[in-house]
Amino acid sequence: MHMPSPGRRSLIAIPAHNEAATIRDVVDRVHAHLPDCDLLVVNDGSSDATSAMLADSGAIVAEHICNLGYSRAIQTAVLYAARTGYDRLITLDADGQHDPEQVRALLAEFDAEQLDVLIGSRYMVSRTYAGVPFGRRIGMRLFSTLVAVTAGRRIYDTTSGLKVIGRRTFDPLTQWHFIDFHAEALVYLMRLGFRVGEFPVTVVERRHGQSMYSTISLLKYPLKTLLMLLLGVIQADLTRRRAS
Amino acid sequence: MTTAGVITGTLLGCVLLIWVVNLIRNGRLYVGYGVIFVFGTLAAIAVLLVPRVLEAVTAASAALVPAPSLSIGAIVIMLFLLVYVFTQITILSNRVMHLTQELAIRGAQRQDRPHPEPGEPR
Repeated sequence: MHMPSPGRRSLIAIPAHNEAATIRDVVDRVHAHLPDCDLLVVNDGSSDATSAMLADSGAIVAEHICNLGYSRAIQTAVLYAARTGYDRLITLDADGQHDPEQVRALLAEFDAEQLDVLIGSRYMVSRTYAGVPFGRRIGMRLFSTLVAVTAGRRIYDTTSGLKVIGRRTFDPLTQWHFIDFHAEALVYLMRLGFRVGEFPVTVVERRHGQSMYSTISLLKYPLKTLLMLLLGVIQADLTRRRAS
Repeated sequence: MTTAGVITGTLLGCVLLIWVVNLIRNGRLYVGYGVIFVFGTLAAIAVLLVPRVLEAVTAASAALVPAPSLSIGAIVIMLFLLVYVFTQITILSNRVMHLTQELAIRGAQRQDRPHPEPGEPR
């Protein structure tokens, strides 16, 4: 079994918004499977008992006093990891869809390939998006293709919440604004020259709570992501030009 | 609409588009607001540039709201004002967001290190 390289500190970050039904179980499983990693839960303005469920859980809790959204919760975790001197940040969903046991294999791949970002991919092996609702399937194909066109490398699962993020990318990820740290963030990082990879993982269906995407957001999300993806390309190229 | 009107409308649309895109890029306009302006403006420019669509839209809108052409000028001014108002809302919202993140991070650091070094922010 892979153990983190000596001296490399890893932080597991779980953004949570109204996940009282699952959060304690997820935290306990992370502690059980990854005892050598620190755990940060970003409680993103939950109005249910998420905060109470986290009391005495052994996790460090960053409390957003109001709901800022997924990307800002991730950004809080990145800022915390950067300021506290962690080398790697691993993001997991709070709904229990990701198995913490798979993080070991992700970390091994991340180290072996010397990547800056590694995505836990649900579709890398099948490449068919089977079982995904029709509308989302079109969106996933579209953004996977756009990433391939704009960044030169196809990423099959651009919306995965399971990622390993290396220290080198902490600064760019906090200096530019993203929607959900999905396709737009990947393209931005790849255009800046960071190494992004994918590794196959399996997820289980969420049993509690609701997806963060409502009916309206299903219409608005692709437009916002498309716009930010194109702006990310411009911004990354400008940043590179200024740096050289 | 006259050719001069179409050109003026298209130029105004382009100015609005460049302004909005730049505001989003600099983080001064939330992308959720900006996307409405961007795709709305692109749709309006497309209507202006395709004569048949322009005729159809003009006929439909004139039948619904018979307004003098000067009111278009007022609508354009309102549109630019609206972008400005949304920019101010975004700036305020960004400040609240940074404050919320800072409070959360400091709270988390206190849990991680309950006894910081002297002089270290609490």
